[in-house]
Amino acid sequence: MPDPIVLLDHVTKRFAGHIAVDDLSLTVPRGVIYGLLGPNGAGKTTTIRMILDILQPDSGTVRLFGEPGGGRAHAERIGYLPEERGLYRKMRVLDVLVFLGEMKGVDRRRARERAGEWLERLGLADWRLRRVDELSKGMQQKVQFISTILHDPALVVLDEAFAGLDPVNAQGMKDTVLELRGRGATILFSTHIMEQAEKLCEQLCIIARGRKLVDGTLNDIKRTHGGQHLVVGFDGSTGTAAQVFADPRLVTKVDNYGQYAELELASGADPQEVLRQLVASGARLSRFELQEASLHKIFIDLVGPVRGDARADEDRP
Amino acid sequence: MSKVGAVIRREFVERVRRRSFWVMAMLGPVFFAAIFLAPLWFARGGGLKRIAVVDRTTTGFGLAVAVGLESTRGIFVVRRILGGPGVEDSLAREVGARHIDGFLLVSDSLFETGAVEYRASNVSSLEDIALLRQSLGRVAENARLERAGVNPGVVARAQVPVTLRTNKITRGRVTGESAGQSFALAYFMMVTLYIALLLYGVQVMGSVIDEKTSRVVEVLVSSIRPFQLLLGKVLGVGAVSLLQFLIWGVAASALIGRRAVLEGQLTDRGQDVGQVFQLPHVSLATGVVFIAFFLGGFALYSAMFAAVAAISSTEQEARQTQTPVTVLIMLAFFSSFATLANPESRLALALSLVPFTSPIAMPARWAAGNVSGIDVAISFALLMLGTVAVTWVAARIYRVGILMTGKRPSIRELVRWVRA
Repeated sequence: MPDPIVLLDHVTKRFAGHIAVDDLSLTVPRGVIYGLLGPNGAGKTTTIRMILDILQPDSGTVRLFGEPGGGRAHAERIGYLPEERGLYRKMRVLDVLVFLGEMKGVDRRRARERAGEWLERLGLADWRLRRVDELSKGMQQKVQFISTILHDPALVVLDEAFAGLDPVNAQGMKDTVLELRGRGATILFSTHIMEQAEKLCEQLCIIARGRKLVDGTLNDIKRTHGGQHLVVGFDGSTGTAAQVFADPRLVTKVDNYGQYAELELASGADPQEVLRQLVASGARLSRFELQEASLHKIFIDLVGPVRGDARADEDRP
Repeated sequence: MSKVGAVIRREFVERVRRRSFWVMAMLGPVFFAAIFLAPLWFARGGGLKRIAVVDRTTTGFGLAVAVGLESTRGIFVVRRILGGPGVEDSLAREVGARHIDGFLLVSDSLFETGAVEYRASNVSSLEDIALLRQSLGRVAENARLERAGVNPGVVARAQVPVTLRTNKITRGRVTGESAGQSFALAYFMMVTLYIALLLYGVQVMGSVIDEKTSRVVEVLVSSIRPFQLLLGKVLGVGAVSLLQFLIWGVAASALIGRRAVLEGQLTDRGQDVGQVFQLPHVSLATGVVFIAFFLGGFALYSAMFAAVAAISSTEQEARQTQTPVTVLIMLAFFSSFATLANPESRLALALSLVPFTSPIAMPARWAAGNVSGIDVAISFALLMLGTVAVTWVAARIYRVGILMTGKRPSIRELVRWVRA
């Protein structure tokens, strides 16, 4: 098995008064899109900063590309887009890109060529000699994105890459992530928006309060944590359906909206048995649909809905 | 290392491109010329004092007084009036109408006891009053000597004034530099160092806070160690300051090259003023001392400014937080006047050894006094040690601070950052 791109081994980071990351281990294999998921304050940014050598773990080790040395030693191979975006506002667009390219070990002339190509590609060629603060916010985001991938990194780290993007830019970002993956790059991105993660991630890790709750491939996690979900719709009469829902041998959890209900089936329960009993209860059914749990649902179940986290609720469907 | 080189280049190019740099480059020489030439220019005003002499003497001594004053530069005797009723009142009205500046009441007592009265609209100009007293004293002295039977020719010969020419000996060599020139050079270096330390220290602070508020710093420190980033910044801004000094130096040498012309134009009142403010000679050694202590002081203070920026979240906050650092620079500047007053005093010695004050005090002492090369070397070594120590502490604060936002850390937190 080839070396993983990122390997965290029992990493812990404390700040004054609290533990930001607690004994976290994770493995990001080569060439995947890996999601680091968790509510705000879960420790995602701290984890990413430790991977990038911006912070040092108090204990545990970080290993990149299967080689020793922290993120800074491998800076040439890593592209990083932090959560809080920003560029030198008074500098010219091209100069910013060349400088940030140099920071990633690209020599000056090469950085200039690459920056020119990318600006051309993203329709910003006419803006190359303008000052950054003359650009619109969307253009600035494009420039920053170019700076992240200018040096053709093997590992791209995107912290809350989709936060604050309008739908068009979010789509653009998604396309670019897929394109980067297509070129063989490994993508590690953090988000608290589960819909994005569900569409993009092949592997993921969910953390909360600094601890890992689950990690693995999306399919495995859905299989082991998803359970079986059933959506039932009524056409007028519900009969004694509520009694069926209350049977703990069949159903462990129910959200009953009267004419519509979402059920989580008990492990080992047969959906066909539920259907038989509902028909027997005299209910008129308009819908009976077996669903796999959404990542959002798994996330809420794992993290717990009582977190009171306003932003985690934003992406409820 | 090439990344540090890129940081240096960015700081340098971005700053030199700015209009403010060239404004400073142009205004600098104007400003410094103003520091030196303004006193000369202002001293030129005032012109002649027109005065009247009220002669109440019984011996005709009043006439001698009037003639004696006439020959004094800067004083013009409008007329001599014999004392009588109403004379003083009418002269007072003339003073009020600004026809004359004042009048002297001369009686026999000037000859006997030296007492004489001057009434004028302005009696606060020490320079004018001293001149008047000096002239009157000479007239009275001559009159007394003549009365005692001394030949006036002998009196005149006895009164040939002494001209004291000052010539500074530095490190055992006669430099041809006058006291006035040494003073002017030391003063000039103090002002320049003070302004440059503040100006460029604050630029390092601005650069750090700019990267912090724009969050670029997070990307940067994922590729370059915070200390290297700080180093690149200090070197880059330092290079800008050297370029600025080079421009100023060229301008200053052009100014000094026209020394004779300038002094001639500005000091037509005589050598008195010119003695105090003369354009200095600058030797190579002086230039080296100046630049070396500037760079040492700049490194010391800019590290502190960088730490200030790192613990602040906005530029406004940084401006408030910088006060202790700017006060320290001001302290170095103002205490260095003690060095000018007496370059050999213990205070001057102490100031030129302590790293926080030596960047300004040592070059001033060097210019003003007789400082040996060993003294300079010791002072510079201490400055280097101080700079390394301060930079070490500042870099640790910087490293943590640049990633922090929100509340400014307390002193206790800072101590923990430094220890971590």
